[in-house]
Amino acid sequence: MKEFTINGTVMKCYPLTAAQRLHFYTIKFAKPQVLNIGTGLYIKQEVDFDVLKQSVKEAIADFDSMRLRFIQDEDGTVYQYVIPFDEREVGFFDFSGWSESDAHEEMTKWTHKPLERLNSAMNRVVMIKYPGGYNGIYLKVDHMTMDSSSIIEFNKRVLELYCAKVYDYPQPKPLQSYIKAVERDLEYERKDNPSHINDEEFWKSQIEGSEPMYTDFTGPGRLLTQRRESGNPDLRSAVITSTTLDAAISVYHLEGEPSARLLDFCAENKVSMASLLLMGLRTVLSKFNNDEKDVSVKTNVARRGTLLEKHSGGTRIHFFPLRTILEPEQTFIEGIRTIQAEQNRIFRHANYDPIELNMKRAKYRKFTPGASYESISLTYQPLTLREKNTEMPDIDYKTFWYSNGVAAQPLYLTVMHRPEDNGLNFNFEYKKDVVSDSEMEFLYYYYCRVLFRGIEDKTRTIGQILEMI
Amino acid sequence: MLEELKEMMCNYIEAAPETITPESEFINDLGFNSFDFMCLLGEIEEKYGIHVNEEEIIGLSTVKDAMDYIEKLKKA
Repeated sequence: MKEFTINGTVMKCYPLTAAQRLHFYTIKFAKPQVLNIGTGLYIKQEVDFDVLKQSVKEAIADFDSMRLRFIQDEDGTVYQYVIPFDEREVGFFDFSGWSESDAHEEMTKWTHKPLERLNSAMNRVVMIKYPGGYNGIYLKVDHMTMDSSSIIEFNKRVLELYCAKVYDYPQPKPLQSYIKAVERDLEYERKDNPSHINDEEFWKSQIEGSEPMYTDFTGPGRLLTQRRESGNPDLRSAVITSTTLDAAISVYHLEGEPSARLLDFCAENKVSMASLLLMGLRTVLSKFNNDEKDVSVKTNVARRGTLLEKHSGGTRIHFFPLRTILEPEQTFIEGIRTIQAEQNRIFRHANYDPIELNMKRAKYRKFTPGASYESISLTYQPLTLREKNTEMPDIDYKTFWYSNGVAAQPLYLTVMHRPEDNGLNFNFEYKKDVVSDSEMEFLYYYYCRVLFRGIEDKTRTIGQILEMI
Repeated sequence: MLEELKEMMCNYIEAAPETITPESEFINDLGFNSFDFMCLLGEIEEKYGIHVNEEEIIGLSTVKDAMDYIEKLKKA
């Protein structure tokens, strides 16, 4: 912690946490807007924009990480602090008369525009009159200040405050302190912290175990080429960096009914949706790589266990490699349970700094710069605006995630629930020079085939499923 | 042990301690997810000086299951 005098007031400023440094590391290699997240939340009804504006202002006042600021010291080290008041104006844009696709394109352009990082608000809120009788808000945030859980919590809060004013619904519960959560994270990072020492030992044992195998989402071509070029026929990692960072998002909508079947399967078999999705994804990668048994992906850990972590906003996501070695004789459900146990192991050591882990792994394995064993990152976002504790009337919603136009990794898959029907959206964010929209469609098609072949008979073996699809 | 567990659980879920019973199911009744549950187990390990096994805990559904499992590990 360090004190800075800002506008005549002495402020306590805190170093960035590991989750924030993960993003900070990303911007070294990408355009500044790579950390922009643009979202839209629109409700199908007339909205009183004066009341909505007041609700947004109150939500900003309640939500510490919307008032987060960064400051640099004389050495260039970045610190963070929360300003007590944020009196900014909330913008308004009228898309009446626009087509929905033109409105979408315009807000995607907004999302491409970088946000200032130092001594400035790292978010933007605009009230929107959306085509088709929908109204709501566009929100752009810097990923170093908020992640998808925070964004959903903020949007939910705006709606709850609005509904409390318009429909006399109960006021939302108070939120938790962002700074308190940061202090806990920084306490963990002390090298002599027993949990930190324990986690370091765990990840060291993972790194120094047998070597994983790279499996690309387009097939074995990338690894085979790099084996040939390096003259190393046993190469098991591949360089995944590419010439450009230009990215796009392809979104595929799984309807409510089949999505419900996946959820029911998880409930009946007491397995998590994340484990089912990971099982599906690793099986597709296996299929695309000559039925490879050893498949690794990057998995996201939201790190929101305690109520403090759940309701303090901020950015908390850590990414870790998840390795699966599954035999063709193992059944689909055995595979899911193996993955769930592996995920549980990762959860217990998820506070460890993922950048430090990557650097240690790269050093131990003598990686070529940019090399990895994982071609895809998977995030499952279970939160929606329709959480059971949310006090809101039954309103028809639309939600969107807008591309920032840049990606630091080849493929980032986010699976999230649609608030309108609880169906699943599969958001594939991909680098345009590495893969095309039609290849994403191909991947999604096989992904669904694996998932539904697996859940219709959980005793099917992995080998049988690989043959069937 | 139940009271101690209730106190720990209420750091993770929005439930009044008096509503938690031995029969309460972690996922269906209390709203735990896998990550919450693993964090809770970390606290339990520290408090009772035990070490849980990730494969074994997949079968723990209710608070009573967890209490029995902890007792077993404490005796081992």
